[in-house]
Amino acid sequence: MQLFLTGLILLVGITTLFWGRARASESSFLDEVKKSTARFDNRSVPLVKEVTEDTVLSHEKYQGGSFRVLARKKNIERYQCSNCHNDKPVTVNRGAELTHGDIVLNHGSAERGLVCIDCHSPEQRDYLEDKKGRKIDFDHSYDLCGQCHFRQKRDWIGGAHGKRVVNWAGDRVVYNCTTCHDPHSPRFEKRFPATYSVPLD
Amino acid sequence: MSAKKTEYGEDQDLLMKKSDRRTFLKGCSVAAAAASAALTSGCIPSVAAENSEEMKLRWQEFFKKNYRLMTQEEKDATVARLERLAKLRDGLDVQMGSYPPLKGVLYGYGFNITRCEGFMECVAACVKENNLDRKTNTQYIRIFEMEPGKLDPGTGDGQYYHKVPVENKFYMGTQCFHCENAPCTKACPTKATWREPDGIVVVDYDWCIGCRYCQAACPYYGRRFNWGKPEIPRQEINLRQHYLGNRVRPKGKMEKCTFCIQRTRKGRLPACVEACPTGARVFGNLLDPDSEIRYVLKHKKVFRMKEELGTDPKFWYFID
Repeated sequence: MQLFLTGLILLVGITTLFWGRARASESSFLDEVKKSTARFDNRSVPLVKEVTEDTVLSHEKYQGGSFRVLARKKNIERYQCSNCHNDKPVTVNRGAELTHGDIVLNHGSAERGLVCIDCHSPEQRDYLEDKKGRKIDFDHSYDLCGQCHFRQKRDWIGGAHGKRVVNWAGDRVVYNCTTCHDPHSPRFEKRFPATYSVPLD
Repeated sequence: MSAKKTEYGEDQDLLMKKSDRRTFLKGCSVAAAAASAALTSGCIPSVAAENSEEMKLRWQEFFKKNYRLMTQEEKDATVARLERLAKLRDGLDVQMGSYPPLKGVLYGYGFNITRCEGFMECVAACVKENNLDRKTNTQYIRIFEMEPGKLDPGTGDGQYYHKVPVENKFYMGTQCFHCENAPCTKACPTKATWREPDGIVVVDYDWCIGCRYCQAACPYYGRRFNWGKPEIPRQEINLRQHYLGNRVRPKGKMEKCTFCIQRTRKGRLPACVEACPTGARVFGNLLDPDSEIRYVLKHKKVFRMKEELGTDPKFWYFID
């Protein structure tokens, strides 16, 4: 009788334990997240800071529709390129600088690094040009970068590569490829960290 | 979720019951305050006249309610008092807010361990944004330099200072993970820390008694205890503050990452995300199917730290 009672208590105990556990794992908030498929109106959030930089509407669409990217052309010092790259002869004093002697190309593999006209259009200097011969605006460099870095481009469109500007809400504005990467030397340079940490307590 | 909400409600009820006694005590204290003010002004009139406003505000501050029990008017009142006190004591024009959580928003965070290169711009930005103590170098975020194959920050180097990134190492950041099932909130004896409806785990600094139970309960070392009022160069104090966020904490309180509540509740990215030069940090609304964080969860290999503990952190690591 005593054995039976102990067994019963043990059984009830184990059942409650497992039931409790099962319940605990069931009630994860992730279920609610997965169920949440209704679109969130990002414009409903009042913003304190607007994006002040120049932006252009992207050619691509992300899962939430169209989005904007930071413009590039205004940050290119001597744009338009056709000011010099035209039919007329150019005479300059600062030749070394103005013939792009300051640009270090460190893009592509060691055996076959990229050269200027791999990305720049040889005929129309105000544009980039991809391998299919399409002219690409400097503001839409992602179209060009994406032909090799297609995985990064896919992630960038979705939001796993690169980042948004200023706000998580509101209309989506993201950094362009060239906002962060120097296209001539795209890898980030080694440097000292911005600060340091002390041991915890 | 519904279970959580009732739990939250029960907390409220529990606190409500106690508030009867508190109201009584408050009555007593106001009387005492009046008496003591009369006493002080009777003895040293000049000092009292100078400080009477500050004294009055401090008394009112001392007997205010827990933030969760306050009505919006009471929240506005305490915020106004704190702003005025900052002006009286330090001459600072603080803009403090108590804005509530946004509807239909649950914050989530992604950290790309492939992309992070250990520049620690996030840490520096966090210190500035959140008015952290410069004297003891308090930091909510820590970045660990990790050996390949290891995923426990305990094995990494959290105190590196050399040129980064180093070959064949990767970098992993930790901070408060804002657990859905947060152990720290359960450990608090004064209910001074809780999970807000938008998922942010916050601290009411004025109800925190500094017992540090929450620090012991947190499996992620996400909480920091201040041994003194933060010392910040005057011109570097961030005046845009939130009651539950980056306001200058009193001495002896528990503090932690709040996902920059003063920014995120106004649609802005947290300071760490905005500062990250490599885009390793992703922040967004988990309930929005189009958000970046949802894209990461859907398309990337993600994991959470110490997931087996059942704390349900809202902070995911992912790889490219």
